[in-house]
Amino acid sequence: MKLKNIIFAILLLTIPYSLATSHSFAQQVSLSISPPLLEVFIKPGKSIMVAYSLENSGDPTIIEAEVVSFEPKDNLGQISLKSTLEGPVRFYLDNADLQLNQSFFLKTGEKQQLLLRIRVPDGAPEGDYYYSLLAKTVPPPTLEGVASSRAKATIASNILITVTESGIVEVKPKIAIFEILSRFKLNLFGKVVKIFDSFDKVPLMLIVENKGNNLIKPEGKISLRGNFGETSTHEIIPKNILAQSQRLIEARLPSPAGEANGGQATPSASINDGNSSLIFNGFFVGLYNLSTNITFGENSPTIFASSSFFAFPFKLLFGFIIVVTLTIYVIKKFSRNDD
Amino acid sequence: MRFFVITRFLVVASFLLGMTSEGKVHAINMESTRFIIESANTSSAAGDKSSSGYKLSDTIGQLAAGQFSSSGYVVKAGFQYLHSVIPFRFSISDINIDLGSLLPNTPSTAYTVLTVAFGSAGQYQVTTIEESPLKTLSGNAIVDTSCNGGTETCTESTAKLWDSASAYGFGYNMAGNDIPADFTSSSHFRPFPDRLLAEAPAVIMSSSNVSTSRQATLTFKANISPIQPAGSYQTVVSFVATPSY
Repeated sequence: MKLKNIIFAILLLTIPYSLATSHSFAQQVSLSISPPLLEVFIKPGKSIMVAYSLENSGDPTIIEAEVVSFEPKDNLGQISLKSTLEGPVRFYLDNADLQLNQSFFLKTGEKQQLLLRIRVPDGAPEGDYYYSLLAKTVPPPTLEGVASSRAKATIASNILITVTESGIVEVKPKIAIFEILSRFKLNLFGKVVKIFDSFDKVPLMLIVENKGNNLIKPEGKISLRGNFGETSTHEIIPKNILAQSQRLIEARLPSPAGEANGGQATPSASINDGNSSLIFNGFFVGLYNLSTNITFGENSPTIFASSSFFAFPFKLLFGFIIVVTLTIYVIKKFSRNDD
Repeated sequence: MRFFVITRFLVVASFLLGMTSEGKVHAINMESTRFIIESANTSSAAGDKSSSGYKLSDTIGQLAAGQFSSSGYVVKAGFQYLHSVIPFRFSISDINIDLGSLLPNTPSTAYTVLTVAFGSAGQYQVTTIEESPLKTLSGNAIVDTSCNGGTETCTESTAKLWDSASAYGFGYNMAGNDIPADFTSSSHFRPFPDRLLAEAPAVIMSSSNVSTSRQATLTFKANISPIQPAGSYQTVVSFVATPSY
């Protein structure tokens, strides 16, 4: 009886503790920032204020806002952040209670408006300056007694600033690559002929280089013209090409009306498939010409390039030859047996 | 139909016969008093555009916008070709990654899920870097993994097989959308770049395609040797999500 009481007492004392034990929940971070991109054309000596919206959809967290410079990393539109702020442009937060590089608390579901002041001092050199507004979370406290890795999340919004006194920007474009990406090429008397099977997809790479000191936006079309006059036209997506950099240009899906034998725009799908501007699908026979005309806004130069490829149903032809050969062989064999 | 097939055949045949005269891959140079149309570097016409016959001067003025002269600035928010401002969202499912009590020759793993949502705005990348190796306050560190070693030696940019219980270190694996191609299986790992060694952050998610919500799982792995000193090993791993421009 006594033992029973002791066991009962132990259970009575331990069960509430076990129930009250705190569970270890995953701590989630979910941040969104808007706008994700800001383009500013501004005179030296001017100042503007831009309202950013930062929202926390995860667990409550401590955040710090910072502005750093960036540079283009590749021709796919990716960037490389620098650790510091470079250039003459100055950034401040106009919020009464917030400053850059100073942490603040954001509850779950809370939105914080960041009033970013961008000031270009008098005498700032004309040119482009590229920055990223970063919102960084502060890592959670360490877990004692175990090996652990704490994650710090940073979300960025890019700021492209063109400092110009007159409003005139430098437009110096060049088509660096306009090439049909074929596996088979035939070199005939110094001319390279791109060859495709009629059922193959035809990928096209268009890379535009900006040799100027201001960002530019390409506008224009990529056209495919067949030997029977069939055409397929695709509008170029006007993505920014930063100063002194190159960018792979992509095109939109073809407009459904009025286009014959349409190619289908398929912008690259992943990190490993980012080297084509367009992929044309269809049944191609004969010689096809691809061309592009690109402008960069009013009073800007137009650049042009063209290339061509030849398509023939080689696989179908080989299949046909094999079938005919086998048929003749079988017929001859059976006729010999009959003899 | 028959006529059409015959016509196509004749065109193809005539092309094959006259292939030497095919010259449509030439770039074209044009100029006027107002502008110059610059040649492209196509496959058969690449090269320097300079010539003794003309002066290439393709710097053309372009007005930024009408209101620039009055206000002194023009501001455009969001991606102009989308005609709407889409927020850029980045989520990490768990920022406190518990690898538990590490036992010698017994790999320990833990994972977190990274999500990028970008409406249809498209291009983005997520990079990662460790602020330091996994280490105790007294400075004992678990080295960054080299995977199985030998031909299976991984680097910050190349994942290799890491399934040997006697291969020690700390690293990560990726699975899901938009991840680097070298993570071919759940046993392929990379070491984190180390900020203390001034290494460049590694791109772990990237897409140049339009994307609504892209998700990848990052699995942390640590394996220690029997002579690894006991202690509470900690590090901070930084993830940076950047949209394109």
